[in-house]
Amino acid sequence: MTNWMKRILVTGTMLAGLVTAAHADPFRIGYLIPNPVGDVGWSHELDAGAKAIQEHFGDKVEVQTVNSLGEGPDATRVMDKMAADGFNMLILGSFGYQQDGLKLAKRYPNLSVVHIGGYLNAKNFSTLAPRHYEAAYLCGMAAGMVTKSETLGVIAAFPLPEVLNIMNAYVLGAQSTNQSLKPVKVIWLNSWFDPAKEKASAESLASQGSDVIYSLFPGTPAPVAVAEQLGVYATVTHSDNTKYAPTKHLCAGQLNFGPVLIDKVQQAMDKAFKGDDVFAGVKEGTIAVAGLNNDLSADQKAQILATQDQMRAGTFNPFTGPIASNDGKDAVPAGTALDDAAIKSMKFLVKGIDTTIPN
Amino acid sequence: MDALVFVLAGAMATATPMLLAALGELVVEKAGVLNLSIEGMMAIAAAIAFMVTLGTHDHTLGLLAGVVSGVLLSLVFAMLVLVFMANQVAAGLAVGILGLGLSALLGRAYEGMTILPLAKLSIPVLSGLPVIGPVLFGQDVVVYLAFALAALIAWFLYATKAGLKLRVIGENPATAHALGLWPVATRLAAIAFGGAMAGLAGGYASTVLTPVWSQDMIAGRGWIAVALVVFGTWRPARIVVGAYLFGAVSLLGLALQALGIGIPSQLMTCMPYVLTIVVLVVISADKVRIRLNAPASLGENYRPTT
Amino acid sequence: MKFLGFWMEPRTETSPLSTLVIALITIALSIATMIGMFLLLGASPGVVLYSFFVEPLSSSYNLGEVLIKASPLILIAQGLAIGFRAKVWNIGAEGQLIIGAICASLLPIYWSDTDSAWLLPGMIVAGALAGMAWAGIAAFLRTKFNASEIIVTLMLTEIAKQVLYYLLTGALRDPSGYNFPQSVMFPDAGLYPTFGGEGVRANLSVFITLAMTVGCWIFVTKTFAAFRLLVGGVAPDAARYAGFSQRQAIWISMLIGGAAAGLAGVGEIAGPIGKLQPILSPGYGYAGIIVAFLGGLNPIGIFFAGLFMAVIYVGGDIALVSAGIPTSAPVVFQGLLLVFYLASSFFMRFKFRALPRERTATEGV
Repeated sequence: MTNWMKRILVTGTMLAGLVTAAHADPFRIGYLIPNPVGDVGWSHELDAGAKAIQEHFGDKVEVQTVNSLGEGPDATRVMDKMAADGFNMLILGSFGYQQDGLKLAKRYPNLSVVHIGGYLNAKNFSTLAPRHYEAAYLCGMAAGMVTKSETLGVIAAFPLPEVLNIMNAYVLGAQSTNQSLKPVKVIWLNSWFDPAKEKASAESLASQGSDVIYSLFPGTPAPVAVAEQLGVYATVTHSDNTKYAPTKHLCAGQLNFGPVLIDKVQQAMDKAFKGDDVFAGVKEGTIAVAGLNNDLSADQKAQILATQDQMRAGTFNPFTGPIASNDGKDAVPAGTALDDAAIKSMKFLVKGIDTTIPN
Repeated sequence: MDALVFVLAGAMATATPMLLAALGELVVEKAGVLNLSIEGMMAIAAAIAFMVTLGTHDHTLGLLAGVVSGVLLSLVFAMLVLVFMANQVAAGLAVGILGLGLSALLGRAYEGMTILPLAKLSIPVLSGLPVIGPVLFGQDVVVYLAFALAALIAWFLYATKAGLKLRVIGENPATAHALGLWPVATRLAAIAFGGAMAGLAGGYASTVLTPVWSQDMIAGRGWIAVALVVFGTWRPARIVVGAYLFGAVSLLGLALQALGIGIPSQLMTCMPYVLTIVVLVVISADKVRIRLNAPASLGENYRPTT
Repeated sequence: MKFLGFWMEPRTETSPLSTLVIALITIALSIATMIGMFLLLGASPGVVLYSFFVEPLSSSYNLGEVLIKASPLILIAQGLAIGFRAKVWNIGAEGQLIIGAICASLLPIYWSDTDSAWLLPGMIVAGALAGMAWAGIAAFLRTKFNASEIIVTLMLTEIAKQVLYYLLTGALRDPSGYNFPQSVMFPDAGLYPTFGGEGVRANLSVFITLAMTVGCWIFVTKTFAAFRLLVGGVAPDAARYAGFSQRQAIWISMLIGGAAAGLAGVGEIAGPIGKLQPILSPGYGYAGIIVAFLGGLNPIGIFFAGLFMAVIYVGGDIALVSAGIPTSAPVVFQGLLLVFYLASSFFMRFKFRALPRERTATEGV
């Protein structure tokens, strides 16, 4: 590029910058999403959160989302560019952004950062984790109610930490409505975006008797769509997948990032940002069941929703003892309930799940 | 029992994209050209086929669109290799990357959408038979098409004059040219055919096998197709067997997990790849067989001097 | 021979001028195509071009980013190019990178409280040896059983990924990390020192890349071993006749390539990543292949091609924010670069001939 072209470009950019600076500066939020945004799923719900923020605050904020970012040093570069460009707040939508997000927060004390899915905090670095397990328990109740083969199947991508507490809650919920369940079968995909493998996993579980298949953090809607084809019920995390399984969609753990994020944005705009650890569930409006199947009777639906109401009121903890783990030990003694820290660092599998995870 | 049916029946459909792509690559390699861009051709065909099927609700149109996009990308490769005399490995990798990037770029608005699946065939009495019913007679149309194409290609290569000419060009294009054959034109046709087959494979993957398109969905199956050609020592029947074997082994891992068998899932995910290496070693160690079937001029560009 | 109706003949020597012209044409064509693409995408070409080519060089942070991006690219490309010149196709550098990183990470994971000055050198050695061993598997299978190294190295890459996942969800996982599949953070003694100022991520691993570049240049231009490799690739029959061992060529190529990839893996975990995690590389093993070819399989060319590619990578990340282009656009750009390069390098190897020579009786095929 020749010199005079460069000069024109730079001058032009500066002038443009001056012009926009003349208006009252909107509060600039950078929003990082790890994967392509589809119609359903984690990235979709993150994107919906971004849209909720923009809609709520209107002209006062400017949300710029970048998606399909991956989790390595490239994401860091984007974060850094946003910080250097003077963004006021960053919302990081994946666990992998934690370390570098934290370093960035230390270098830019005026930057507020919300990290979704982590466990480290700083004064201007807050973490947000959804209580997926609450909806998992409720969907488990539904699964226990409808299963005729008494066999439930689970498809999970990787044995991430939350996956364990979600799976456990699901099985506990099913066991609460169904005393004659056979061991729950689990398939670990070990890859994120392989619809052919997801479909094959659903077929594998169905061929061995599962009539409800739980897609835990699915990469694509393939397992849900295949469940419909095979005539088995589908439960799923993240989003209401009814459009992929019109007749067999049983229950979804619908995420809604809007309320909590709007709260955090308001905090940041009021210069009262807290670097806290937010574990948000039904009570905060972050998690709710959705897409309940009409095969469930009115009474059954009422029972599920009643338990949800209890969660909203804070009176129901799915991990209340006694709970036995699948290697025979007593994971949660009678009369006690797991606290947040214990839930987040759960390492055991409840009795009734038939799989192994590396220690 | 049901696990067995799942593995055997599922293997047919799972293997079909790899089989189709491998059959196409077989023809290309028999003509003496090594095309490593299969992954990219499958990816772009998957994206385009999905978009067309979503818009027109017609699977046939979608698959045709996939075929066309595969051919178009393969022509870029043909141009690099036949006209610009580029190194075939480099050209294949370049076009492959281009295809992968384009598929992600074009398809990004369609991430995670779904279409109605193509129905499996249901032949009156035969499909109802235990085990072999669903395995042999309950598949979708393209699975049978792949079988038919394998037979057709075998017939073309070994029972027709045109096939003989193609094989001669693959052995020694200069001599073929001296004999009055047209190496460049034949190779162009072969590359385009390979592109069509890879296109069909990719389109099948995104519109029939799973009614979903996702950015990285081909997940290395294009490379498996390249391996299959060597596996099958460049003979169609063996490529068919190899494809189904690979498909069955990848499903076996999933079936074992569903049975609750306590082998680490990562180990089972590795199985097909380890198997590929093992079979490859066994096949390649037989030097005589390789030399008999591998085209002698594979990978070398033909430089016409007249 | 004919090219679209024109007669061509092979060049006997390549002029540096033609190399430069080819490089510029390649870049110009790719940029022109990309501008068309960006217009279709609705992004402003001016902003995009600025983000891609000017901004990466505009601050010390960005320059540092270019360096840490270029370092593994050049390193891997140098290693692979040695083999590519001998027609030994190591496509599995990505897997060798992973295995190198895994083995190197064992040291800081088990000695996580140390501040010994030997930790980092130990990691470097471990990484290089491990990468060599992984590539050595393919070399062994090729020399002993004639198994295609293209396929074996590819399969080994997939296997390496699964090994990484297995270890990260089990033996190497950080016990206080809430079950997340990653290792403990490495102690400072296990990280490359950075330079360039506060927040800049450039680190001393660039010296390993420089050393590799210089080493390859010496190897390629001064040693007979490299000549043997080259002849083995260009004229295998002549090489056999002259007694150049193909077995040796395969082993040397694969081991050097594997070591380079392993070193690149160490560069990542002891560099910007700082621990072992599931995603170690955004495809450096494959991008290194592109860089090797773009650099004409020549150590100096690779050095500059790697820097250029790094600028594009970093610029692409910047353009994501400033111009809103999708993440797949830089990938398409790289594909186009390589395609145009391969097409235009044709003219480096052949030149036009005004008229066909008179055919004599001795002119053959």
